[in-house]
Amino acid sequence: MADLAEIQSLIARALPGADVEILDEGGGDHLRAVVTAPQFEGLSRVDQHRLVKGPVQHLMDDGTIHALSVTASIPGG
Amino acid sequence: MSDPELKAKVEEIIRENPVLLFMKGTPDMPRCGFSMRVVGMLEQLGAEYGAVDVLPALDPLREATGEISDWRTFPQLYVKGELVGGCDIVEEMFESGELATMLGVEQPDAAAAPEPDRLVPGGSQQSPPMQLG
Repeated sequence: MADLAEIQSLIARALPGADVEILDEGGGDHLRAVVTAPQFEGLSRVDQHRLVKGPVQHLMDDGTIHALSVTASIPGG
Repeated sequence: MSDPELKAKVEEIIRENPVLLFMKGTPDMPRCGFSMRVVGMLEQLGAEYGAVDVLPALDPLREATGEISDWRTFPQLYVKGELVGGCDIVEEMFESGELATMLGVEQPDAAAAPEPDRLVPGGSQQSPPMQLG
């Protein structure tokens, strides 16, 4: 069972100024990160997702998070 | 550190298949809902694609794609050698029509991500180009 607050803070710390929300889409290990971050500006979708997944990669590798979908947007965009 | 032989093989297979899906299970029998959704979208677009079942060698393939594309989760869709993304990105691009454009196919009239019961496997996909494990 993933700790949603911990995941939220790992991502938020890696993206200062971002708005980060973690939703449980099923069973506590199928999660969605809804992230609005200025850092996404000018990046491809895969690069935006890399920025979100990077800080929690260890939790994905060890199976704590089975799947992390990402909804990425740029503030005001 | 990934197995150099496997990594070379993965790079080759990405290079040689214009549309390639790394997935859990096969197009006929997906073993993960996200893989199934990507298969459903490719089928709905009538796209020709190669598919690789990652389950027989999940961890080594994670390492290999991590080094090649900095992406360690499956499914992974590649078009013309470039990583497009996982299920969420593919879904966004399917709904916006970008995926159809990228694949050079026509966008279906009502492009909504297919529900599992609308998934009709078989048909246009090629046979799996690579056996592992």
